[in-house]
Amino acid sequence: MFDKLQSAFWKALTPDLVPDEPKVSAAPETLLPAKVVEALGGEKNLTSQQRVAITRIRVQLRDAERLDEPALQAPGMPAVMVLGNGVVHVLTPMAAPLAETG
Amino acid sequence: MTVPQPLQLLAPLSGVLVPLDHVPDPVFANRVIGDGLCIDPTSQTLCAPLAGVVSDLQASGHAITITHEGGAQILLHIGLDTVNLAGKGFTALVEKGQRVQAGQALIEFDADHIAVHARSLMTLMLVVSAEPFSMLTGDSARVVGGQPLLELGHVGLADDAPVNEGEALVSQPISLPNANGLHARPAAVFAQAAKGFKADIRLHRQQDSANGKSLVAIMAMQPALGDVLTISATGEDAAAAIETLAELLADGCGESVAPVAVSAPAIEAAPAAKPSAMSLQGVCASAGSALGQVVQVVERKLEITEAAGDPRAELQVLDRGLAGALAALQTLRDEAGSEAQEEIFKAHQELLEDPSLLEQARLLINQGKSAAFAWNSVTEATAELFKASGNRFLAERALDLADVGQRVLKLMLDVQDSAWELPDQAILVAEQLTPSQTAALDTSKVVGFATVGGGATSHVAILARALGLPAVCGLPAEVLALVDGTRVLLDADKGELHLDPDPVSIEQLQAQREQRALRQQRDLEQASLAATTRDGHRFEVTANIASLAEAEQAIELGGEGVGLLRSEFLYLERSNAPSQDEQAATYSAIARALGPERNLVVRTLDVGGDKPLAYVPMEAEANPFLGMRGIRLCLERPQLLREQLRAILASCALARLHIMLPMVSQLSELRLVRQILEEEAASLGHDTLPKLGIMIEVPCAALMADAFAPEVDFFSIGTNDLTQYTLAMDRDHPRLASQADSFHPAVLRLIATTVKAAHAHGKWVGVCGAMASEPLAVPLLLGLGVDELSASVPLIPAIKAAIRDVQLSDCEAIARQALTLESAGQVREALRSWRPSSLPLSPVLES
Repeated sequence: MFDKLQSAFWKALTPDLVPDEPKVSAAPETLLPAKVVEALGGEKNLTSQQRVAITRIRVQLRDAERLDEPALQAPGMPAVMVLGNGVVHVLTPMAAPLAETG
Repeated sequence: MTVPQPLQLLAPLSGVLVPLDHVPDPVFANRVIGDGLCIDPTSQTLCAPLAGVVSDLQASGHAITITHEGGAQILLHIGLDTVNLAGKGFTALVEKGQRVQAGQALIEFDADHIAVHARSLMTLMLVVSAEPFSMLTGDSARVVGGQPLLELGHVGLADDAPVNEGEALVSQPISLPNANGLHARPAAVFAQAAKGFKADIRLHRQQDSANGKSLVAIMAMQPALGDVLTISATGEDAAAAIETLAELLADGCGESVAPVAVSAPAIEAAPAAKPSAMSLQGVCASAGSALGQVVQVVERKLEITEAAGDPRAELQVLDRGLAGALAALQTLRDEAGSEAQEEIFKAHQELLEDPSLLEQARLLINQGKSAAFAWNSVTEATAELFKASGNRFLAERALDLADVGQRVLKLMLDVQDSAWELPDQAILVAEQLTPSQTAALDTSKVVGFATVGGGATSHVAILARALGLPAVCGLPAEVLALVDGTRVLLDADKGELHLDPDPVSIEQLQAQREQRALRQQRDLEQASLAATTRDGHRFEVTANIASLAEAEQAIELGGEGVGLLRSEFLYLERSNAPSQDEQAATYSAIARALGPERNLVVRTLDVGGDKPLAYVPMEAEANPFLGMRGIRLCLERPQLLREQLRAILASCALARLHIMLPMVSQLSELRLVRQILEEEAASLGHDTLPKLGIMIEVPCAALMADAFAPEVDFFSIGTNDLTQYTLAMDRDHPRLASQADSFHPAVLRLIATTVKAAHAHGKWVGVCGAMASEPLAVPLLLGLGVDELSASVPLIPAIKAAIRDVQLSDCEAIARQALTLESAGQVREALRSWRPSSLPLSPVLES
């Protein structure tokens, strides 16, 4: 509700020239370790990767069906949270970024 | 008495355990609220770790406290800084006071929404009743919701009985400054501080009160922004406790609180004391001075009945109120005395059509509330959200919403606004003035404004500048206690309101005012003459504009071109995206009005987290002035820049087109834009490029001007930002604004550096900041070697006249002297007392 109103007010007052571009247009491909990428359905299945909420990498999947849940749950894999609409959060440890450890 | 059983706490969520020490939030990491653990969740339903009663549930749904029958209290807090989400993404499944079983679902949350919009999802489970505990998990960092996690040791007895006796001491009322009220963090800081005293401490709000040492009790009270609180203390160190805690509360309990963003409502309980000082200090919102009498502007409280019988009838009442308000706003727009006012009422109309506001009001009506109650609750709640947004611009828009809300409310309640009879020479004094109040003004009787709230972007400031009346904002609340009819002297230039002006200063002021009027008259008559100094040097005086109308007005007032077109203001009234063709039409119309002989400097979109006119809601930045502003934002969204450049290029042949980039700090930014500009020009088949220049508004650009100069066609100095970045002072800061003065020698030295570098490469330098609109600065800027002054439209005649008054050689001498002075005050003093021998006093000043 607040977001809606806020954007309504921005719109009322400001030129809305171009639709907002996605924040991560050219995501660096190295955010996730290879084995995680594989379990998520491979490089081509990831439309975006975005660091959010300090400890998470938010991944948008092209095709949620290609996600390999058992592989993701295997020992040694980071914790993941599979959400609706092909969104997956991959949790990274607080101290070190995943790309370096994994 | 039974021996307390060890109590097991279950994991409220599945996820990864994070050691409390690693939680990136000092309040949690330092166990200010209590010891416990943290889970980075992988599930989205928060479950009860133990059986008990929901003793607190935050309205925003992100935190809940469960109290076990043995006294143990467990706080569950989902995410970090999630209070800012104002409830979005959280669905409470239980109610306060409800008894819950261990493992029962308490709150569902949208993990994705929170991850994207809040700082973190890390969820805390804290033992606020402070029993010792041991961890039941092994080495595994992963937990599954419902697994036993902690075992509490001895459950201590809750000791509520007051130990101290005697007279209670009570603090002064304090208006709570925290945007989100006393939520967990500030409440914990307060309780922690209170625990440091032996005295019993209670926090009071009207009839409510809470144990000041209990975090849970304070949170359960849910003190909100602007609530008037008092602290009472009983016991030997009561006086010290009151003093410390009152100060802590007023300062935000460790949260940064913006004094300007949200004005605290006047404290009703304590009638404001008679102002003791002879003058009150505020911030100049519109320059000038005036002598007049106080007129207090007070908004009447409306009586609203909550319940109603027939929702259908109430819906009709709402629709009638809305239709009436829309029509009234249309009339106000048609009759608006200034463009600024018209824009404001246009925005008000759009607010009334906001679907979410209407939906919420209708929802409440269907629940049996009256139309007036429903509308009032919805607008007030939304205004609070605006205030709590932490964004100064939005906070000021809360006033718009309240204003529109009142307008509809009065129509629904059939309350007539009594005609407002003003005495002559009225100086309006108010907490805040709403656009509706100012629209109804008889401007022939008002000579000034003095308000407690508001800043440079408030309506009072906008309106006062449009009317050419002096205004001071940010005055202490004592001003509201002044009796109607009190003679006061409003010296807006100094930001002061003098309560008992002596006859001499009144006389001086009146004489000055007459002189000023005469001078204005003369300047206006000579506006079309060239701005040539006495020793024959001609300078260009151009206009800062934001619309076609202003461009036309500028030419009428003798403007020799446009030195700054603020392109971000061009589509204020639009609610949808203007096409490139429409943009091109606007630029072309302005260019055509100027003609091929005049300069048109178009600044590319200058928006950012700090600027009111961000065309998209940006992510909150901790420090927007040091964030994605100006060209940085445009380069992050290059499509937007390309489209604007194409639109600007369409007007290439119609005027002497210049493109200017805001907030440039790196050479690479300039080169990147030049490349984009060349590409766009080539794609449109232009073989000549317009001139490309940059604003000098960041100290690094001024210091590197010699590196920029070969690659630009011109510089234009934005003195406002240059000043605040150089002096590290916010120009709207209530206590610093008066010192954030562009006349500071440091700023002057940067201007001198810029000019030297530009001239060495044969490039010209303009000044388009507020300094160029200040006649006192004219000799200084000319003396520093500036080639062009771009002033606000109404001041063009005065600036041209000021140039005609001086000799360039004298200006150079005073500028050299100014560069060696110590402070802005000294520079201003030197300029005021400056009277070069060769310059006779102007005839007007002699009279």
